[in-house]
Amino acid sequence: MQLFLNQLFNGIEMGAVYAAVALALVLVFRTTGLFNFAQGEMAMLSTFVTWQIAQAAPILVAIIAGMALSFVGGALVERTLIRPMEQKGNPLGTVIITIGLFIALNALCQLIWPPSRAQSEPFSMPRPWPTRGTIEIAGAQLKWFTVWLVAILLLECLALYVLLQRTKLGLSLRALSSNQESSRLVGINVGTMLMVGWGLAAAVGSLAGALLASRSNQFDVSLMQFILAYAFAAAALGGMDSPLGAVIAGFIVGIAEAMAVTYVDAVEGIPIVVPLLLIFFVLLLRPEGMFGRKVVQRV
Amino acid sequence: MKTRPKKAAALCTAALLLFGAACTNSSDDKSDSKGDDGKSGNVSEQIDDVLEDCPDGSDTAGIEGDTIKLISSYPQEGALAAFAEIAKGYNAYFDMVNEAGGVEIAGKKYQIEVEGFNDNYNPPETTEIISKEFGPEGKGAFAAFSVVGTANNLAIRDDLGELCVPNIFASTGSPAMGNPDYPWMIGSSLPLYSTEAAAFAEYLKENKPDATVAMLLQNGEYGDGYEQSFKKAIEGSDITVVATQRYDAGLATDVSSQVTNLANSKADVFFNGATLLPCPNGMTKADELGWKAIKYVSGTCASKTLIGAAGESADGVLTASNVMDPANTDWDGNERMKTFKDTVSAWKAKTGDDGADVTNGVVGYGWTLGELFVKALENAESATRSAVMASLNNLEVASPGIIYDGITVKTGENDRFLSEAAKIGEYDLAKKAFVALDEVYDFEGGTAIPESLID
Amino acid sequence: MSDQTVTPPNPEGALTVAAPVRSKPTATAAFAVLVMAAALVLPFVHDKPEDLRLLSLGFIMGIGAMGLNVLTGYTGQISIGHAAFYGIGAYITANLIIEQNLTVLATLPIAIAVTAAFGALVGLPALRVKGPALALVTLGLAILVPTLLLKYGSNKGVALWKPKRRHLASPVDSLTDGQWKYLVPLVALIVVYVLTKSLVNSRAGRSLIAVRDQEVAAATAGVNVTGAKIASFAISAAYCGLAGSLSVLVRGQADASSALSYFQLSIYFLVAVVVGGAATVAGPILGGMLVQYLDDKAPEWSGNKVGMAPFILGAVLVAIVYLLPGGLLGGLRQLVARLRRPPSAPDPSPNHTPATSEVQP
Repeated sequence: MQLFLNQLFNGIEMGAVYAAVALALVLVFRTTGLFNFAQGEMAMLSTFVTWQIAQAAPILVAIIAGMALSFVGGALVERTLIRPMEQKGNPLGTVIITIGLFIALNALCQLIWPPSRAQSEPFSMPRPWPTRGTIEIAGAQLKWFTVWLVAILLLECLALYVLLQRTKLGLSLRALSSNQESSRLVGINVGTMLMVGWGLAAAVGSLAGALLASRSNQFDVSLMQFILAYAFAAAALGGMDSPLGAVIAGFIVGIAEAMAVTYVDAVEGIPIVVPLLLIFFVLLLRPEGMFGRKVVQRV
Repeated sequence: MKTRPKKAAALCTAALLLFGAACTNSSDDKSDSKGDDGKSGNVSEQIDDVLEDCPDGSDTAGIEGDTIKLISSYPQEGALAAFAEIAKGYNAYFDMVNEAGGVEIAGKKYQIEVEGFNDNYNPPETTEIISKEFGPEGKGAFAAFSVVGTANNLAIRDDLGELCVPNIFASTGSPAMGNPDYPWMIGSSLPLYSTEAAAFAEYLKENKPDATVAMLLQNGEYGDGYEQSFKKAIEGSDITVVATQRYDAGLATDVSSQVTNLANSKADVFFNGATLLPCPNGMTKADELGWKAIKYVSGTCASKTLIGAAGESADGVLTASNVMDPANTDWDGNERMKTFKDTVSAWKAKTGDDGADVTNGVVGYGWTLGELFVKALENAESATRSAVMASLNNLEVASPGIIYDGITVKTGENDRFLSEAAKIGEYDLAKKAFVALDEVYDFEGGTAIPESLID
Repeated sequence: MSDQTVTPPNPEGALTVAAPVRSKPTATAAFAVLVMAAALVLPFVHDKPEDLRLLSLGFIMGIGAMGLNVLTGYTGQISIGHAAFYGIGAYITANLIIEQNLTVLATLPIAIAVTAAFGALVGLPALRVKGPALALVTLGLAILVPTLLLKYGSNKGVALWKPKRRHLASPVDSLTDGQWKYLVPLVALIVVYVLTKSLVNSRAGRSLIAVRDQEVAAATAGVNVTGAKIASFAISAAYCGLAGSLSVLVRGQADASSALSYFQLSIYFLVAVVVGGAATVAGPILGGMLVQYLDDKAPEWSGNKVGMAPFILGAVLVAIVYLLPGGLLGGLRQLVARLRRPPSAPDPSPNHTPATSEVQP
């Protein structure tokens, strides 16, 4: 029982991270219909920026500032790199651009914050909450980190929910994802909305990155590398256009992985097969995921 | 390479009939007929046996004018960069020697130059680098030097062996480096994983004779080495291994799940055989789970950066090593430590290399390699590959570099391992350094190569 | 001149291209033959091993990229996992040489057959999804294959399989090793190129393009869409498998040590296709060689500065997609067309159609 609970907590902890990044992916997909392969690396860059700010300011300020800067950054990326390609009617091109960004951003971080520096002064992200250590539950240890992480994630979801469902901005964003042309016709400034969508996603990613970085005593450019596969698995499982689905699926992926490592011998040393197999099966049996909408193609 | 007894038998018969030559396990390839008896023996003789099969002029290759050129390959990026510190140590030493006129071999002076390449700790990249830099005849440089990683060194040993290129001071503690089938290869002064395991086993026998042990191990040769050596060392005692978990070096650094499983065994001892980031991550997780155990970490994890990454959970952690920890100010009075720190600091100022940290034991290890190589060169009969290898295999240096007083680096006719002694060190969080316990666990000459690690 | 039918912007996605037409190939064909001849003669004139090796690797990259192009450029299905097939091909070849003592050439048909079959097998379920979801599945493949190879096929925990050097040496006395290792991939490249050209100009090829441009309409017109997609997947897998096998000859090893390197290679193929020109047969060859060259030289240019090489590649990728959507070859074509056209004639390439290249070598 204790082992089960401990692994469950492990799963919830990582699941929260997967959920956060998946949320960013879904936000982009929902508003612009695109897969952003660079989401993880954008979050990683945001994390380094946040860290840089945290060298001169309290961590909470740094995180918020980081999110704000990321918002702007994401919006700019949409406007300067993505939009022109979209206007040319070339979605393959846009996917490729995000892939190019994926490679370039990672490299950019290594150029600005060289890893050799880390040998003498590691990049360390402080935690934004006061409590440390663990709580004991039925013999198992639940980290305060996990508790706060999940709490912040839920808060974030609530905020997004309110934004999307209860504000005019949110309404415009939802209209955009439903039908771009019609949105334009009713007077929604499509361009601005697209930028907002990407900006929001970038901000969400920034928060996820900062939190993930604070999990260990130091972080580096590989922070988001493998998270991407997990986040995609979660987004696909949940339904690419369902934020709620992404979050729930994120936890499912995290818990499934922890359980598999414990109870399935074949997975020893290679837990990454879990999200991959999940992806295969989901897309095989139910391509729209748990909560997504089925896409009907107009001829 | 898998040994296939039946196939070998068939090939043997065929080869015997056709060539009338002795046959080995792998194939009828002529260049495999080195060290036929399969036992460690005189390396010079083994090399002489194969010299005729070497490419023409290979023995004197790699020395341009008066410069001995060496190639190294190790990870330099991101989280893996901890091992890049080794190079700073030996480069500083070679620079010191070069400035003083160079190293003297058989009456002539030579400069030493090492070029390092980034292989991301990835064996296929290591082979590409070696293949590219040495060229198809193996003459691109004098030798490979301090290539990092067990798997990486295993990946290049065949190519280098066939071309008769020395692989000097392979930076890995794997006993496989002493494999007599590869006389051109030699390990380094890094304590062997078997020495580490044996030293720790002795420590346990003295301090907790009935301990239960849980081990975190890397997938592959490196992890297998620890497991086998440790199990062998505890044979006949009351110590038992109750759980093992593996992680994959190539994918992610999170070992939470594995450590959770290990903690569940409630073992007395947590043997953290991980290296690079999974090591401190494992330590932190063990603490978080409230697992009260004697913690041991691999010597490869005892570097400043990696231990530092474990923060508070590093307190009281044990390791086995044969070098003084430069971060421990208690050693500052030691002459050799002073030389090391002063020289590296001067080199750092001269080259502007900010990363060189004199309190990092990994740099000290590299420094020690530098001194050992120079001593071996000085004792070599001539500036040729075979002579240098003979010298390396006939070495006896008391406490070179920053190796502890009382430990001698020694190789000889049946002993291809440089250092088979270690001391246990305990990490003191306040000092941010390892404090050595007094006892030297010396297994000189006693290391046998585990059968399964030889191909 | 040739007829050009302009297709309306494609809501489904993928690069739009003018419908294939028969145009006068003599000038371009002659040029192609000239290039092939020069390439074949090169190793006897310029026998520098490093240069030949770089070119060989470029050819191999070109083969892989051509394969991906069949799937992506011509059938409009995106994949960022084709390195998996490359890896399987390499694994098969390396292990057959080590275990069964086969020659490199003997292993090629086996590797091709196995990867094609595997491609069809994967294609079956994978192609039920479209666009980004398919990309996701193929990404999964790129990670899964090396992971499984490492776990179940590995050589004492090291996912590296190296045949003995002599098994990869030149079996022909008059050719040096370097020349042999250059000529085999080159000949393979030429053969594959010719095959691809005929595929693309055939009825099957037109079915693929129909699937890419207007899938539903194609189905209505009687094209077996599923069959076309799966066949295309299998063919592209086979090309990559061949590339992988050949890489064992040149590199001397097959490896599956790092899922990340598989992902990177898949991206390289994609970059090669896009940069070279997705809807052309020869474009990917050009792209492949360029990518290989950049990968090799970038560390030198940047003075071994960590991160510079991928940064350059990423930036180049973004730049090309942006500025030259038809890739280098497409851009070249446009330039030539523009120079050929009399000044008063209307511009046949409307702004909203990115790549305006006909189906040509």
